[in-house]
Order: sequence, then C-alpha cells, then structure tokens
Amino acid sequence: MNENPNAKVAEGDGSPKPYWNPYLAGLLLGGALLASFLILGAGLGASAVPIRCGALLENLVAPAHTQASEFFGQKYLADGANPLRYYLVFMFVGTFLGGLFSAVLARRMNFCVERGKAFGAVPRLVLAIAGGILVGYASALAGGCTSGQALTGGALLANGSIVFMLCVFAGGYAAAYFVRRQWHD
Amino acid sequence: MIKTFYGIDQLVTAPSARTFLAAIIVGLLFGFALERAGFGSSRKLAGIFYFRDMTVLKVMFTALITAMLGLSLVVALGWNDLESQVYILPTLYAAQIVGGLIFGVGFVLSSWCPGTAAVGLASGKLDALVFLVGVIIGTIVYNESYGLTAGLLGKGTVLMAFGLSRGLFALLFTLAAVGAFYFAEWIERRVGGDGGSGGKYLHSMFLRAFSLVLIIVAVAVFILPNKPGAAGMASAGASSEQALLEAVEGAEDHIEPEELADALMQGEQDLIVVDVRPPGEYRAFHIPGAVNVPLAELIDYLAPYKNQGRVVLYSNGMTHPAQARDVLARLGFQNVFMLTDGIQGFLDRCLKPVSLRREPLPEPQAERVRVWRAYFLGTDKLAPTPSGQPDVFRP
Repeated sequence: MNENPNAKVAEGDGSPKPYWNPYLAGLLLGGALLASFLILGAGLGASAVPIRCGALLENLVAPAHTQASEFFGQKYLADGANPLRYYLVFMFVGTFLGGLFSAVLARRMNFCVERGKAFGAVPRLVLAIAGGILVGYASALAGGCTSGQALTGGALLANGSIVFMLCVFAGGYAAAYFVRRQWHD
Repeated sequence: MIKTFYGIDQLVTAPSARTFLAAIIVGLLFGFALERAGFGSSRKLAGIFYFRDMTVLKVMFTALITAMLGLSLVVALGWNDLESQVYILPTLYAAQIVGGLIFGVGFVLSSWCPGTAAVGLASGKLDALVFLVGVIIGTIVYNESYGLTAGLLGKGTVLMAFGLSRGLFALLFTLAAVGAFYFAEWIERRVGGDGGSGGKYLHSMFLRAFSLVLIIVAVAVFILPNKPGAAGMASAGASSEQALLEAVEGAEDHIEPEELADALMQGEQDLIVVDVRPPGEYRAFHIPGAVNVPLAELIDYLAPYKNQGRVVLYSNGMTHPAQARDVLARLGFQNVFMLTDGIQGFLDRCLKPVSLRREPLPEPQAERVRVWRAYFLGTDKLAPTPSGQPDVFRP
C-alpha cells in the first residue's frame, strides 16, 4: 500500500515494500525510547541538531555577535565549546543511518520532491522551507520538537510536554485547510 | 536498583566515544522504527491533518504508551529511581504552548518534523533537505529575536502527571489512546483515503488483542505500588523542614575545603561542584571541575542530580549557597552541601602556598597543600617550593 505517486517510478519488480503495521512500528519506536532512557539516562531528540548547526553557522559568519547573543552565545558557545560535541548530534547521525538502512531494505529510497500530482515542486519546496523556519523557531522556544518534547516528555508524563503535544496538533489542524492543495492529486 | 547505563551528567558534562557510540545505536533504532512506520514520507505524515491516514497518531501513541508503561514498570519494581536518574524536561507552560502552536503550523506546512526529516532525507526526499535548511534558519531567527519571546521563558519546574499518581495517569492515558486508535481506524475508513485501505484494523482481531494487552499492562502498573509523581515531591519537602533545621544546627550541610579538594582529586563519582557566582568571576578563577550555574537556573540544572551523589555549592561567601541549599532541601534534595567559607576558604586552606602562610604548617599538612596545588594549579610539581621565591598567588 504505497500511496506515494513518485515512488511508482521505481522499477517494476523492485517496487517498494509495504510499511509495517503502525502499531508494531509504534512498539519498536517505544522500545527505542525506553532503551534511550535506560541506557543514556535521557530520551530521544532531534531538534538539538539544527539548533546547534544554527549556532555553528552564525558563529562562522559573525563570531563576536553570536558569542555575545543570549541564546546561541550563552547556551551553546560558552567557553569556546564545540556545539556539535553533543550526544544528540550522534543520535541524529544514527537516526539518518537507521532510516537509510530501512529505506534501502524496503526499496523506498527515491530521490524526489514529495507532493500531490496537481501541485508544483517549487511551491512545495517553498512550503517546506517556510514550515521549517517556523519549526526551527518553535523548537528553540519550546526546548524540543516532536521527539524531544512530545514523545520523550510525554512518556515521562511531564506536564509541559503533554501540553506542547496538544498544541502542536491544535496548530496543525488550524492551518491544515490552507495548505491542503499541496497533497491534491 | 540499577542505574541508567550512562546518565545525563556523563552524557553532557563528560561525553566520551562510548557515550557517543551508545547515542548512535539508540539513533539507529529510532531511525529504523520511523522509516518502517512510513515517516520517511511527508505525504504520510501530513495524512493525520486530513483524516485520510492516521498513522502518526497510531505510531506516536503506541510509542508513548510503550515507553510510559515500560518506565512505570521499571519504577514500580524498584529497578530504577526515575526522578534522580533520568533527565526530566522542565515544564514552562507559556513557552511550550506558544512553541507548540507555531510548531504545529510549521509541521503542517512542511509536513516534516526534525526527526522524521532525518529519515526523509535518508529516503531521498528533497523536501526534507529543504525543510532542515529552514529549521536551521528558524533557530538563527530565534537567536536574533530572542528578546521577543524572552518573557515566555522562566525557571521552569519539573511537573509530572498533572498531580495524579504515575500509575493512574498512565492508565487513563492508555484508555484514551485505545479510544483514539479506534477513532483513527473509523475515520480513515469513513474518509476513505489511500485507495480504501485505510481503517483496515477497525474490526481486526489484531487491534482487539493489542488494545487488550495494553490495558492489562496499564492496569498492572496501576495496581503495583506506585511512587507518586509531583504530589509526592511536595509532601516530601514539607516533612523535611524539621530535618533541615537539624542538619543546619549540626552543620551537616557543610563540606570542608580539604574534604572537597581530596574528593575532587580522587575523582569522586557523582560529585557535582557548582559555582553560583556571576560568570565573570567564574571565568577569572574557579575551583577546577566546578560548573558555573546562576542561582536562577540552579533548580533546573540540578534536577537530574537529585539525591544522586553529592552536590557542593560555593560562592564568595556563605549566604547565597545557604539560601539555595534551603530551597533545594524543600524540593526534596538531600544531597546538597555548601563549601565552608566559600571559594576564599578553599584558596586559603588548600591552595595558599605553604611559604606564604602566617603560621607554619606541620609537614604532613604542608605536603597535602603541595599535592593540592600541583593538582589544582599545575604548579609546584610535587617538589617543595624553594622558600624566598613564593609563587605568584593567583586567585
């Protein structure tokens, strides 16, 4: 059951395998989260990486300004620290490799801009970057993303993380109607 | 009780090749699970917002319950004291509500989030790459406009389970999630997205058995004796007022500079030395191995070290550490000490060269001072300092 129109381009006999039963995939994801808690003493996270890349890049362009800044400077660049020397950066590398392994195995590796057939690639990329900017800003503000706040904090029953998750869905449903065309075929 | 393998302190303050390797391995599992679920596809991720493909809800809630019940079991069976060993995200409602709403809008526009975009990128999705570039730009925008939302930020507190017991909350959450699973299957079928294959688990034996197992585990966790969540922390604090005063009277909450110096030199496990002075003074000089944490951030910073190892606070004098120590004791911290006479005491009693002292030291004590100086200042090289040539005394 692959509904990605672009994936159909894949060669005849090498068509993508179906996705896992979502509940079993969820069990594995929950197992990964549990393993993270018990091995690392902390949950999963992803948005730490773009934040740290942002600190690194801005520091390359305007070092004095960035090091004096309240967010990047004080939290990520204090005492000349290398912002990429952080466990979540390595976890992100693992996440990419785990995804790559799974995608290749299931023949889902496919270079494309994913979108509805009736929607152009360029407007889709504009939405992707605009959404990215909002997500980056919001992750920095809230101190995490769907992995670090919603999933990890939720499993720990942290009040703020559960509220964050509900707000993500509220914001998403509120805006969904206005960008629905990107998935029209 | 088993401890977490590494723990957040080692992970963050003393990272090594091994902690990084462990993080990569956890990441591999994470990425594999995300991709198997179909989260390498933005179309699939977006499905939840149009009720045509509720995979996000099914996977996310299953993962949440699995980890939640797993952790609760580990705590209930006494294998692990979660609150002292696992980093718990502080609650900061204003930032998390505003951040969540903005995040949601960004999520539906891009149909990615940072973790799934890593997997999307691995699947060759160009929109995932562009999204990640956007996220980096967004963090720079946040840094540049930090003042705009700084009012939403604050100390943050560890609040859990909305005042309910861990077990009760997990049980209610599990019941709600099972309800959500059936709603998801029903609405998928009704909307009829994805070639009519949506909602295929609605009447399946699989989902019935799966739901039953989740509920049974949740009930078991609920029945097992539970450590209360936030409510327990508050009551533990109240009952310790008397003990706190007794500790103050007996000066049990002090640590002498000599003891601290020896503990640091011996590399005592789980010893956290916190310098609560302003960053400028910390930069000028601090006890090697100490971390600089402003008083306002102390509670957040120390949350992972609660009742695990020893926490030593110091400042120039004793007032600030004492006040901080009282606040921490009320929050249930029983492992916070303050350094007698602050940093000056450490300098005078441990690091001041023997030759500069007003009263001659007995030789064993003088030898200890030389060892400390060699260790903390890298001077003296364990050899007696030739008198008449005192070292530069550098605070």
